[in-house]
Amino acid sequence: MIPRFWLPILLLMLSFQAATAQEADNEKENTNQGRISGNLQLNGNFFMRDSLIGAANTPQYDRQLFGADSWLNLNYQNWGFDVGIRFDMFNNSNLLNPLGSFTGVGIGRWYVSKKINKLGITGGYIYDIIGSGIIFRAYEERALAIDQALYGIKTTYDLGENWKIKGFVGRQKQQFSSYSSVIRGGSIDGFVGSDSSKVTLAPGFGVVARTLDDNSMNNLVATLNTYSKADVVEMFPDTLGKEGPNYNAYAASFYNTLTAGPFTWYLEAALKSKEVIFDPFAKRYTVSGDTVLGRYVNKPGSVLYTSLSFAKKGLGLTVEGKRTENFDFRTRPQELGVRGLMHYIPPMTRMNTYRLLARYAAATQFIGEQAFQVDASYKVNKKLNLTANFSNITNLDGDQLYREILAEAYYKYQKKWTLTTGVQLQDYNLEVYFGKPGAAPAKTITPYFDFLYKFNPKTSIRFESQYMIMSEEHGELSDYGSWVFGLVEFTLAPHWAVTVSDMYNRDPGKASPIDPKTGEQAKIHYPRFDVYYTHKANRLSISYVKQVQGVVCSGGVCRLEPAFSGVKMSINSTF
Amino acid sequence: MKKHFLFLFAAAMLLSACKEIAPAVTGSMGGDNTENPVEDQLRQVIIEEFTGVRCVQCPAGSATIQDLLGQHGERLVAVSIHAGGFSPPYPASEYDFRTAEGDQLINYLDPPFSFPSAVVNRKLYPGQTDRQLDQGDWAGFIASELAIAPKVRINIEPDFASSSRELKAKVTLYVDEAITDPDVRLSLMITESDIKDLQLVPSSSTPIPDYTHRHVLRGMLTNYDGDQLTETLSDGSVIEKSFSFTMPADWDENHCEIVAVVSLAGTNKDVLQAHQVHVVE
Repeated sequence: MIPRFWLPILLLMLSFQAATAQEADNEKENTNQGRISGNLQLNGNFFMRDSLIGAANTPQYDRQLFGADSWLNLNYQNWGFDVGIRFDMFNNSNLLNPLGSFTGVGIGRWYVSKKINKLGITGGYIYDIIGSGIIFRAYEERALAIDQALYGIKTTYDLGENWKIKGFVGRQKQQFSSYSSVIRGGSIDGFVGSDSSKVTLAPGFGVVARTLDDNSMNNLVATLNTYSKADVVEMFPDTLGKEGPNYNAYAASFYNTLTAGPFTWYLEAALKSKEVIFDPFAKRYTVSGDTVLGRYVNKPGSVLYTSLSFAKKGLGLTVEGKRTENFDFRTRPQELGVRGLMHYIPPMTRMNTYRLLARYAAATQFIGEQAFQVDASYKVNKKLNLTANFSNITNLDGDQLYREILAEAYYKYQKKWTLTTGVQLQDYNLEVYFGKPGAAPAKTITPYFDFLYKFNPKTSIRFESQYMIMSEEHGELSDYGSWVFGLVEFTLAPHWAVTVSDMYNRDPGKASPIDPKTGEQAKIHYPRFDVYYTHKANRLSISYVKQVQGVVCSGGVCRLEPAFSGVKMSINSTF
Repeated sequence: MKKHFLFLFAAAMLLSACKEIAPAVTGSMGGDNTENPVEDQLRQVIIEEFTGVRCVQCPAGSATIQDLLGQHGERLVAVSIHAGGFSPPYPASEYDFRTAEGDQLINYLDPPFSFPSAVVNRKLYPGQTDRQLDQGDWAGFIASELAIAPKVRINIEPDFASSSRELKAKVTLYVDEAITDPDVRLSLMITESDIKDLQLVPSSSTPIPDYTHRHVLRGMLTNYDGDQLTETLSDGSVIEKSFSFTMPADWDENHCEIVAVVSLAGTNKDVLQAHQVHVVE
């Protein structure tokens, strides 16, 4: 522990020492100035038990009552060096496990980077991406407790003005430790054309490999040796009893962005070698005679993703398509959910921000998905803008997973007021995304509006409302039934904003909580009250929140989130 | 351009390297039915599964445990603890499998990240962030625990009087290697199997009424985290403990087991040995 803790500090000190020494050398020239920057994010949650909505029975609601998460990031740049360190703190935090409580404090990230002519070197915790992330993406998404940093070394080399090659090796971060599997990879990225070219290309090719550690492999083999013969014969038809799962898995992708006038076309094709992955929908025939869902399979993977955009004279059009098959690429196959993922597959749905429009979000399906999306916007004139979106997702057998149709109009009247209004239709597979067996899809129609009125350049008020009408299943409304949401936001720029909102389960569905007093599904209010204060690059907020359980998505990755009841405080500061 | 592709070729070569030798997989090779008498008792491992009648994925975990029991026989002890958000019974449920001890154990052994989830020998394994393990790690960690020689052997002598429903249990611990840890505890649990009641399963949108629940934790004869052993646990020492308990009428003694667990307490909660016998032989 001690070397791990001191190493980043030592590196920082060495960097500063080197900087100081060089400073002495360069004092006369007085050409170099160091630059220090950073940011702080602090979240505090006060938990107030509300058994009716399901905000109960976790350590925070039962006894801890308070939890906090914080990230303090510091970066220093000088003499071609770029060093950084991040202090992470989790105190009785439910971020990593919404049902549990985690306490840990330490160095969440450090790195040292240096450019020596055409060679770039980075060591420490590295964030990076190949292509659109389909075969490799090391990134952080704090809202979902994702930190897929690579703990290792990365080098880059400029092959010319427009071509760059990079390589990396390391292990994936696991909170304050790291997974034992070794990840290595590289890519070559280029640009063909010039600023004046009518047609340009930005091609790239990347490869990533992962070597499983012995403990993970031993656990995998032990698990497969509990499987029935029929299941393992399917996995290793020719090598049963001789050769089983591979330690090494390889993924490669080719990608290119072609730009021609108003058109931009992105294409990425990725393949993954045969490896053992967990398929939650595969049937397993147990030795004891049961049939259950979910088992390991040994299959190769592939992803084909393309996006074509057109933009000219107020018209914007984007068409996207994606086909995914068995592309679950993790640092070890035992990891589930968002844990241990080494990559990121772009979502194929509109990123909705309004509360009810975003309630049913379609998480990327790694095992099998065919998706298609069209997004169009047209600026009729300076006042009116029209938007339409259609997305459709099926599994590889053609079964419907998700469909969304949205039409929206935006109208701006001088500088006085704006109105955004539209309607969204959704068809959401509860069985797949929420794991509800036999549940009929949630089919919703949600009209909405957002009206902003400016009293003067600094003072404004905003009204927002959505009404979600839910489909019926055997005489009952699906899932939580129908909702109405209303919000009023008053802004006194540049410092203050106050928001009051309520999400009301107007017509409860079969999954709505049952009121123990009446024995019937309750019509529950989920109010929220926020106060935001902003001063330059500092933002403080305090909120009273009652939040229904649901799927929370960020950046195309989702996880089930339990209900919340209590007070949230946050500080965000950049310096 | 030629130079670029040379780099590419070199990178691809480095990544692919040589063909590896993969480990062999056989699938299930049948069960270990050999007895594990106290005189030569080998390591016995406990798997504590957290489950609930409203947990749709949990029957898959229970089925996995049945396969593991078939594989390891007496050397694996299973306890299904109904606790957490999926455990409240349905209005039509005949039983409420929740227990006060189970509600405490789920916090004591870290709440699960997802279900099904289980704790193997209450150990925090290298590379894991908490004690709760997803299904894919159960078999491997059980195998690694079974390979360790036990420091203590356990014998349980049950005596059940059907007329009064009083259960007496004499637990004898044989220490084979001095245990110097400051806090060592003995836990005694009662589990029951073959209970038919409601359970949510993937094949039905409503809970099925005739699901067979197994190894259900029904109660404990000690504290949830065990009773502290105050005796010196030196090599060769023998410790005897006696317990008595009146079993509720709705527990079927013919399908009940007594589970004894010797474990550490504090930050390190590792189980040193587990053992199980039927209430009625």
